[in-house]
Amino acid sequence: MRCHRLLAGLLTGLAASYAMAADSSPKVQSACASCHAAQTAYQPQTPMAHALLPSGENPTLAAHPKLTLRKGAYAYSIETHDRKSTYNVTDGAHTISLPIRWTIGQRMQTWIFEREGRYYQSRISYYPTIDGLEITVGDERLIPKSLDEAVGRELKHAEARDCFGCHSSNAVSKGELTLASMQPGVTCEHCHEGTTTHLWNALQGVLDSPPPSLKKLPAEDVSNFCGQCHRTWETVIRNGIRGEANVRFQPYRLANSRCFDGSDPRISCTACHDPHQNLVRDDSTYDETCQSCHSRASRDPAAAGSEAKLCPVSGSRCTTCHMPKVKVNSPAGFLTFTDHQIRVVRPGDPYPN
Amino acid sequence: MNLWLLAASLAWTQGAASFDDLVSQAAAARERNDVPRAIELYSQAVQLRPNWVSGWLFLGSMQYTAGSYAAARDALTHFIETAPDPGPAFALRALCEFEIEEYERSLADIQNSTTLGGPNLRVKEETLRYYKSLALTRLGRFDDALNNDSFFAQRQTTSPDILVAVGLAGLRMSLLPREIKQDQQDLLMSAGRAALEFMAGDEKRATEAFENLSQHFPQAPGVHSLYGYFLLASDLHRAVVEFKRELEIAPTNPEACILLAWALLMQKNPSAALPYAETAEEKSPGASTTQLVLGRSLSETGHLATGIAHLERALQLAPDDLEIHIALADAYSRSGRTDDAQRQRLQCLQMTKDGANRVALP
Repeated sequence: MRCHRLLAGLLTGLAASYAMAADSSPKVQSACASCHAAQTAYQPQTPMAHALLPSGENPTLAAHPKLTLRKGAYAYSIETHDRKSTYNVTDGAHTISLPIRWTIGQRMQTWIFEREGRYYQSRISYYPTIDGLEITVGDERLIPKSLDEAVGRELKHAEARDCFGCHSSNAVSKGELTLASMQPGVTCEHCHEGTTTHLWNALQGVLDSPPPSLKKLPAEDVSNFCGQCHRTWETVIRNGIRGEANVRFQPYRLANSRCFDGSDPRISCTACHDPHQNLVRDDSTYDETCQSCHSRASRDPAAAGSEAKLCPVSGSRCTTCHMPKVKVNSPAGFLTFTDHQIRVVRPGDPYPN
Repeated sequence: MNLWLLAASLAWTQGAASFDDLVSQAAAARERNDVPRAIELYSQAVQLRPNWVSGWLFLGSMQYTAGSYAAARDALTHFIETAPDPGPAFALRALCEFEIEEYERSLADIQNSTTLGGPNLRVKEETLRYYKSLALTRLGRFDDALNNDSFFAQRQTTSPDILVAVGLAGLRMSLLPREIKQDQQDLLMSAGRAALEFMAGDEKRATEAFENLSQHFPQAPGVHSLYGYFLLASDLHRAVVEFKRELEIAPTNPEACILLAWALLMQKNPSAALPYAETAEEKSPGASTTQLVLGRSLSETGHLATGIAHLERALQLAPDDLEIHIALADAYSRSGRTDDAQRQRLQCLQMTKDGANRVALP
C-alpha cells in the first residue's frame, strides 16, 4: 500500500522533472512531498528557502521600483522594471550599471554581480528596519578610491563559494562553484545529501538508500551540522570573534551555555527549531524544551544531586530572561538577535564571550 | 693618616685616568674599525671597572663583529643584567645565540627584544625575523616559521636569503642555509617565492607560482604538501588533492599523512581521515599533531574513549595547542562529560581572547 502511494506520488512529482541532475528545487521538493508531506509543506515559505533569490524574483525590489542612497562622492540607485533590477553607481561624471544577478537574504538584502567572470558583493544593502539602503555590514570601513571600487567588493574564490554554498543548494561540487546546477535557497538536497539518488532509486522501487538520518545525530553533531552555515563553536574560536558581533553564531553561543551537553538531544538546535518551519517567535513555545530538563517531572531519581536546577522566578517564558535579546550595531541602526548562550543573566553583567 | 689618604687619593686618580685613557683608545680603535684592538681595550676597561655598563655593550658588539659569539653573548649578558634599559642588547644576544646553535635561547631573546620594544638601533626587525625563521625551522617548528614569514610577504621582501629561509620552512627542511646543497637552491627559492605570494594574498599570482613550482619540481618532497598547507584555510578540496599527490611521492611521509588527515577532518570526513592518522601514528607517534588527528578521527567516528585517550596524550605533548583543546572540548561533550568539556571551552576562550592563537592548522 505504502509502496503504491509512494510510486504514484513520485511519478506525479517527477513527471515534469526528467532531467534530475539539473532539476529545479520546486520539482524535487514536490517529489519529496509525496512521502515527506509534513517537512515540505512549509519549508518553501521559510526564510532559509529564500536565502538566495535569483534575478527577477525579489518581491522587495518589485515593491520598491527605485531605491537611492548617496554616500560621499557616490550616488547609488537600484531600479526595477519588468522584474529586472539594475544597480547603478555614479560619481557624477561616470556611471556603472550592472544587472543584479542574485539577492542574498530575504529581508535584509545584499546583491551579487558578475563582472568579467568575477563575483562582487554590493557596497550597499537593503535594510528592512529603515526600509531603505545603507552600507553593507562589514564594509563600513572600506573607503572606495574609484568608481569601480564604489560598486562593491570582489569576493575571493573561497568567499564566493562559501556565500553560495550556504545561501543556495547544489552550488558547490568538489570545492568548486557550480552555478549551473545551483538551486536558489536552502532546499531538501542542501541538508539531506543524497536526496536525488534516493529519489531515483525510489522511483525504481529501491527504498533502502535514504539520505543519512539527521534525527539520530547527537547534539554536538547537530551543532556542527547547522554550524556549517551558522558557524560552529570551533570556527568562531579559531577566528577569535568576540563581543556582541558573535551573537549571530547560535551554535557557538549555545555551546558556551553551562547546560550544553553534546550527548543530550534535549539541548540541540533541533530540540527547539524545526528547520522545515518558520521560526516560532512566541516565547512560551520553547518552555517545553527548557522543562524537559528544568522541571520536577524530568528529574531522574537515579541521578539525585546532579539534576538541572528549577527556576525560582517562573516556570514559563524561560527564554525571555535566560536568552536575552542583544542589539548589534549596523550601518542602518541596531539589529536585534536572541542570545543562545543560555544563562542566568544578572543586571549589569557584560556580554559574555 | 693624612699620608694614607693622600696615597689612596692618588691611586684613585691614576686609576681613573687609566680607565679614561682605555675608553678613549677603545673608541678610537672601534672608529678605525680595528676590531681586535677595540676588543682588547674594552676588555681591559670593563675588568678595571666592571660596573661600566656601556663597556659591556661595546665589548659585546665588537666580539659579535669579530665572530666571537660565545664571548659576545657573555658580555651582552653582563649588560642586560645591569643596564636600566637593556632592550637593544637582547636582539644582538639573540644573534650570538643563533650562531652558537642555542636556538631556543635565541628565540627567547628575539621575543624579549620585541616585547621590551623601544628603538633597536643595532638590529633591524627584518634581520630579527630572518633569524627567527631560521631558528624555528632548525627546531622543526615549520608552522611557526611560516607564520613569522608572513612579515616578509606583507612587506614584499624577496631577497634570495629570505626566499631560501621561507623555502626551508615551507618544504619542512630542518636545515640552515649553509647546510643546503647547491642543487637545492632553485627549489628552495621557488618554494619560498610561491609561499610568499600566497601569504601576500594574491590568489592568482600564488596559484601561478605554485603551478610553476609543481611543474619544475614535480617529484620534490614537500612541494605538494606546501601548496596543500596554504590551501587548508581556503580550499579544502584542493588541499586534499595536493596532500594525496605528496603521498604518491612519499607514501608514508608522516607530515603529509597528518596534514591530509587534518584536511579530511575539516571536511567533516573523519572515517576517511582515520587511516592516514593511523599511518602517521606508526611513523611518528611522538608528535602532538599525530595524536591530535588520530584522537579526532577516532572520537568523531564514535570511538570516544580511545579518541579521548589520544587527545589527552596530545595535550601532554603540547599543552598550549589550541586545536587540542578544541578537539577535547568536542570529544568530552560528545561523551557527556559536560564539566570537562566546559573546562576545555573556557580554556579555548581564554587562549583566544584579544585575538591571540588564531590558528586553523594542526
